[in-house]
Amino acid sequence: MVASEKSVPSVPSAPRLRDRILNREVVLFIILILVALVLSTQSDQFLKLDNILNQGRLLTEVALVALPMTLIIITGGIDLSVGSILGLTAVMIWYVWQKLGWPLEIAIVLALLTAAICGFVNGLFIVRVGVPPLIMTLATLALYRGMALGISQARQARGFPDWFYQLGQGEVLGLPSQLWIVIVATILTGIILARTPFGRSIYAIGNNELGARFSGIPVDLYKLIIYTFSGFMSGLAGYIFVSRVSTTRSDMGTGLELDVIAAVVLGGTSINGGVGNIAGTAIGLILIQLLKNGLALSGFLGDATIVVVGSVLILAVLVNNFVQWRRGES
Amino acid sequence: MTQPLLQLRGISKSFPGVRALDNISFDVLPGEVHALLGENGAGKSTLIKIIAGVYRPDAGEILLDGSPVHFSDPGQAQAKGIAAIYQELSLYPELTVAENIFMGHAPRGRFGAIDWTAMNQQARDILASLEIDGLDVTRKVGALTVGNRQRVEIAKALSQNARILIMDEPTAALTETDVQSLFNTVRLLRGRGVGIIYISHRLQEVFILADRVSVLRDGHYVGTRLVSETTEDSLVSMMVGRTIDDMFPKLPTTIKEPVLEVRNLWRKPLIKDVSMQVRAGEIVGLAGLVGSGRSELAQVIFGMTPPDGGQILIDGKPVQIKNPGQAMKLGIAYVPEDRGLQGLIRQMKIRENISLAVLRALVRGPFIDNRAERNLATRMIEQLSIRAYSPEQIVNKLSGGNQQKVVVSKWLAGRPRVLIMDEPTRGVDVGAKAEIHRLISQLAQQGLAILMISSELPEVLGMSDRILVMRGGRIVAEYSREEANQELVVTAMMSETDHNRTPKSQPAVETNTV
Amino acid sequence: MTATTPPAIATTPNAMNSWFRAIRRMLATQEGVLALSLVGLTIIVSAINPRFLAPENLSDIFQFNAYIAVAAIGMSMVIISGNIDISVGPLISALAILCGTVATSGFPVWVAWIVPLIVGVLVGVFNGIVVAYLRIPAIVLTLGLHSVIRGLLVILAGSKVISDLPPDFGLAQLTPLGIPMPIYFMVVLTIIAAIWMRYSARARAIYAVGGNAEAARLSGINVQRTIVFTFMINGLMVGISSVLLATQFSQIQATPPPGLELFIITAAVVGGVSILGGTGTVIGATLAAILMSAIRVAMILINVSPFWLQAVTGVLILVTVLADILRRRRQSRSIRA
Repeated sequence: MVASEKSVPSVPSAPRLRDRILNREVVLFIILILVALVLSTQSDQFLKLDNILNQGRLLTEVALVALPMTLIIITGGIDLSVGSILGLTAVMIWYVWQKLGWPLEIAIVLALLTAAICGFVNGLFIVRVGVPPLIMTLATLALYRGMALGISQARQARGFPDWFYQLGQGEVLGLPSQLWIVIVATILTGIILARTPFGRSIYAIGNNELGARFSGIPVDLYKLIIYTFSGFMSGLAGYIFVSRVSTTRSDMGTGLELDVIAAVVLGGTSINGGVGNIAGTAIGLILIQLLKNGLALSGFLGDATIVVVGSVLILAVLVNNFVQWRRGES
Repeated sequence: MTQPLLQLRGISKSFPGVRALDNISFDVLPGEVHALLGENGAGKSTLIKIIAGVYRPDAGEILLDGSPVHFSDPGQAQAKGIAAIYQELSLYPELTVAENIFMGHAPRGRFGAIDWTAMNQQARDILASLEIDGLDVTRKVGALTVGNRQRVEIAKALSQNARILIMDEPTAALTETDVQSLFNTVRLLRGRGVGIIYISHRLQEVFILADRVSVLRDGHYVGTRLVSETTEDSLVSMMVGRTIDDMFPKLPTTIKEPVLEVRNLWRKPLIKDVSMQVRAGEIVGLAGLVGSGRSELAQVIFGMTPPDGGQILIDGKPVQIKNPGQAMKLGIAYVPEDRGLQGLIRQMKIRENISLAVLRALVRGPFIDNRAERNLATRMIEQLSIRAYSPEQIVNKLSGGNQQKVVVSKWLAGRPRVLIMDEPTRGVDVGAKAEIHRLISQLAQQGLAILMISSELPEVLGMSDRILVMRGGRIVAEYSREEANQELVVTAMMSETDHNRTPKSQPAVETNTV
Repeated sequence: MTATTPPAIATTPNAMNSWFRAIRRMLATQEGVLALSLVGLTIIVSAINPRFLAPENLSDIFQFNAYIAVAAIGMSMVIISGNIDISVGPLISALAILCGTVATSGFPVWVAWIVPLIVGVLVGVFNGIVVAYLRIPAIVLTLGLHSVIRGLLVILAGSKVISDLPPDFGLAQLTPLGIPMPIYFMVVLTIIAAIWMRYSARARAIYAVGGNAEAARLSGINVQRTIVFTFMINGLMVGISSVLLATQFSQIQATPPPGLELFIITAAVVGGVSILGGTGTVIGATLAAILMSAIRVAMILINVSPFWLQAVTGVLILVTVLADILRRRRQSRSIRA
């Protein structure tokens, strides 16, 4: 390896000013503004407050799950089962409330608990048994979805009480209710990642897991935490989603992992781990939502958006790789 | 004068920002073992990679049997009979021994199909010619011991009729029996006319095995000597440009009560009934060959791996250490053997590395206290004379010696009471080496209990108050600073006959014969 | 794997002894386990519901799912090389639609059969180049591709069904010598692939690349070209699979069977292809594909809701991977002795 070949080097220079200013988040933000400008010329519906707030509603589920996903990808892992956990959560709400007949509040709590447990199981096998995250969450993608299908037998819930719709369809102080949750969660997660020992440890794990262990960082515990967090947020997203669309279906959340991973990668998190932040993810989320909005306003079917999101994912990874290559990292 | 197999003339190679090799000349004769010495960063690794076709030189020429050659990839070098065995063995764990040996050049039968019978037989033949028996060529390599895997690597080299064999630190991970076996194999190959380029940090091996030795320093060629006509001291001064006398400044210290004690510690398969103690102000040197269990012992004390049996005591009280966090709370610090993989987060800054083990103490509320962190880093950089332009520098760009100092800083930041250092000056240039030794001495003077694991006997002999020797998972000998000398220690490390003495620091516990 | 000789019991007849020995030896290989499981499953399920052995069910297992086994051959190679491809589900459907579209556009049927193969190969080469040269992890590329292809399928074909197919189009409906064509494809392709994987230096290079890419490079193997080649073969298999699917019935649907790629991956993994790369056989993958199809039919016949199939798939992957990881760990622990 080249590294061992360096004799005592002359002092390498500090990062150039240009590189510091043109960092990833700034570039993304500029792209965001540009896209917004273009879209606003395409349709006069775009800049209407109603539309913007509605977009905020629509991106909630992806946003909530993208927060733990950022942490997970920084540590070099991945979680493909988030969509299935969302679906299972929806089914659990139906099951506990309509099949078992228990109060709706309890159903929600139990469903969220189930989601957290699903995430915990992911983490447990990844940490204790050493199953690579890709394979583990691919298997649980099937398993949890299968459980959702099997438990629900394609039956659905209907007829929720009015208070239930508050979260998904209501407003608080002029903003959609769920958007408040998104904003708070994003800020909290961002601060934790950037400014706390836990956050620093996440980056350490992503860059050199063994080195992190030897430094006394409880790697296994932290991994368990982030995968459980991912499960819980998927569950929360499920709850909000059900509240928004007023029904529970076992196929809910299918394809969620694509949207989430695309947003996270677009935001500058490297799929190889070690690099990334919440601000970038947030911008990535908004950017993708804008694209979806633009497509919808131009009359494209909902299904067409996955073409765009899929392409964005591939392009974003290409760009990330290119940038890392230019920076001379191997 | 026999025609050299291989000649390098005026070879230079640069990487972005670094001139790795400058005008190197080097040659290998048939039937010789030519040792290549030099500190880490001297350019040995680059040189052998150029010979093996992994890198292309920027200038100069390579002559094989007198004719110039150019390799654009390792395959071409292999085709010309140059084989290399690196420290990270290049094997396929899920494939068989025979297939590993012949990957890329398997014998073919009809229609160009791989002839498995011929492959297995030829594999057996090669192993037999190396006097290796008992190795089943149809076993998956992943199930083999390290020693056997290395044998597969050597067989692999021979399968391509290697006339030049490059071995990079081949004994680093071997048990003593495997080391002897390796030496025999090398002598066998030499007898067949193979030219062997042998890289090792262990000077003793050079004197045991090599015919000639060449020294590189900072990318420059220093000289070549006949092994029979040179001495260790002379080689060392060629490597470093000064003599070794001023390497071990040991300061006087008062040695107090035992801080760390280990009783009857077991962990299969590498730690068998180990008992020892380290006192405040004391430097205990732990010598032994690779595979004797020293690093494993350290990692059990540090909580990375749990023991199967036995006790660990701090200040005389038994403690449970289930993970490094608990070890750290008890004041135990471990500077690991592999600084790149275990000691540092290379992509992170100096400041971030130094604070990594004590983050929880550097907080204001739930957040990291940036100013305290920066102060810590600045203080450590000054205290240990770390050469860097600022604490914000990425650790990867530092030299080996400075990187090691960052690791040590990281652990000193937590003000430990017990400091275990595993190969503290491996791959460190001599200037930094002396500084680290001075630091260790100072720490002992301040009352730390220091356990120093080292494979460099001069270091062990020069620094320690007491020397423990580990072999086969047990402590087989103990010597005080006055009575210890190289022969005693090496014999204890390597000899099969039992040279143990009941270590003085142990309570009356029987040490079993090996 | 040490062979244990059963104790010589004087009273046990020799025939029984050799049976036990044979079974124990079979159990040591993944293929043996699968074959035995298949036999065991057949015995148990047909005891519960003898209709399991009825011709329409048997043909369902073998004939209508042969296309999955064919795709599993290509997937095995991709996984052995250390990669994965989760875009094959929509791709098979898209190529099937392409096949039907070509056939109903006036071209001779053999052209319609060949076009998906060519397109499949091209897509495979594209994937291989992006993964090998542009260093995009296969999971991410194929995750994106999966959505792109599925979205395009919806946009371009909607929920259309192609039904005015020419009469000689139904390749998969032919029954030479009374055996359905898909079974020929499955068996012949598996055998060819198995032989090739064992005896071709190119194929062994795939194992090398998946086992230790750096070592492969130092062995003189061109890692990137090997990866492109592997994806190319996968593309070819996907193409063949799509033709089998397209020509099976009198119409072609534009909606991909959900979870198809997962089914195929599971077949490969359960078939002994380690998801960690570097080992596995295509025979195992084929046997596993048959086994899983059999499980699917069996579930219906013993009145277990088919909704549970995906859960079973997930459990299968988990169990197989766990066994693999534990085995490797046991191996590496024995080294330090």
